[in-house]
Amino acid sequence: MRLTLKIWRQRSGDDVGGFESYELDGAGAEFTLLEALDKLNDTIVAGGGEPVAFDSDCREGVCGSCGVTVDGVPHGPVANTPSCRQHLRSFPDGGTVTLEPFRSAAYPVVKDLVVDRSALDRVIEAGGFVSIDAGTAPDADSHQASHETVEAALDFAACIGCGACVAACPNGSANLFTGSKLVHLSLLPTTQEERGKRAGAMIGAMEEEFGPCSVYGECVQVCPAGIPLAAIAGLNKEKLRAVLRGKDN
Amino acid sequence: MAVTGLIFAAFVLVHMIGNLKVYQGAEHFNAYAVWLRTLLEPLFPYEGVLWALRIVLIVCLVGHVGGAAMLVARARRARGPFRRRRLPMRSFLARTMPVTGVVLLLFVIFHLLDLTTGTRPAASASFEHGTVDTSHAYENLIASFQRPEVALFYILAMVVLGMHLAHGLWTATHDLGATSHRLRAIAVAVSGILAIAIMLGNISIPVAVLLGVVQ
Repeated sequence: MRLTLKIWRQRSGDDVGGFESYELDGAGAEFTLLEALDKLNDTIVAGGGEPVAFDSDCREGVCGSCGVTVDGVPHGPVANTPSCRQHLRSFPDGGTVTLEPFRSAAYPVVKDLVVDRSALDRVIEAGGFVSIDAGTAPDADSHQASHETVEAALDFAACIGCGACVAACPNGSANLFTGSKLVHLSLLPTTQEERGKRAGAMIGAMEEEFGPCSVYGECVQVCPAGIPLAAIAGLNKEKLRAVLRGKDN
Repeated sequence: MAVTGLIFAAFVLVHMIGNLKVYQGAEHFNAYAVWLRTLLEPLFPYEGVLWALRIVLIVCLVGHVGGAAMLVARARRARGPFRRRRLPMRSFLARTMPVTGVVLLLFVIFHLLDLTTGTRPAASASFEHGTVDTSHAYENLIASFQRPEVALFYILAMVVLGMHLAHGLWTATHDLGATSHRLRAIAVAVSGILAIAIMLGNISIPVAVLLGVVQ
């Protein structure tokens, strides 16, 4: 199939950047978006040009590295699907597709479609870990947790940290991301020791760099891990709990 | 914003129930208006409870508007120069919250001038203040809604109130940390039903006045 790709080109963070149009010919409908970019880059490099920079790693939707905004929607037209799992069959043959980086003040552009998502790492660094010595793998029965609790923790642990929720949010909020981490860690036995402290620290770090939540619900539409909106309620629950109890756990 | 918003939601619900007394006739409606002023007398002075409630509402208004201004400012800073465009209809209520909020604020000012302070031209030409043991609330309301443009503005404001309430209650559910499936399902239903009930209950009054059902 044949597509016109309108791609955001920006040499560096200091560069202003702008759109450039490219013709992509001979790509199959089964191509993923990133494979289409690979093909386009082959042509650009063969012609002596600078290839389009974009992030990718596993290309099977588990690593959270990739992420471009396609026609104004983070990741692309298919809901809850990362950029690497978006296929060209979603677009009409002969149509135009606009590709730009994830947009948020918290994500400075590094080059072309690559953004710096370290702001998310700083939220994790603030408390998204277990600092008590958990030792070696414990006996399976020593930590009692119900099947339902573990399943719920896993549902929220599914977040791959791609940061599309922030790009999708008209407020530039990272509540879905932070909420998924907080809810996940609040449910398990060993991680509960720091529950209150963690909530205060992570939410504090989040509010420094990201916007507030107005429950637009745009984040859950793009989230490749299918994190539910309940994560945002979970974040506020953890915050209220920490404030009302005033304790570390 | 969640707490002040919920106080407003409780207020508009009670206010609507009070409004519906208009269907029980002038005597009943005016007696209710007098009762609001003499509530819990002699423990509290005349209009004491009324003013306590008014002060709570004013404090909530300052908190709610202040919170909204901070939220909008933080959101603008965080989203950067490239805002999302062509958003789908599903987030229409969320997107219009600042607009519906401002419309409601303007409506509240008009509504107070019209039916509380009786300041013309917001109030009708025949507006009459109540005394310690009488009220003209019923007559003032009828006279006000007999002006079609005022009735229309009221109906419009109530639609806007319904929109603001529906999303506001749902947002408050998140702000107060409701995570369980059951609680969230109840919250969705309550947000929608309460918003629609308050909207339709209030809208019925100017419609009834214009149709001549309530005179």
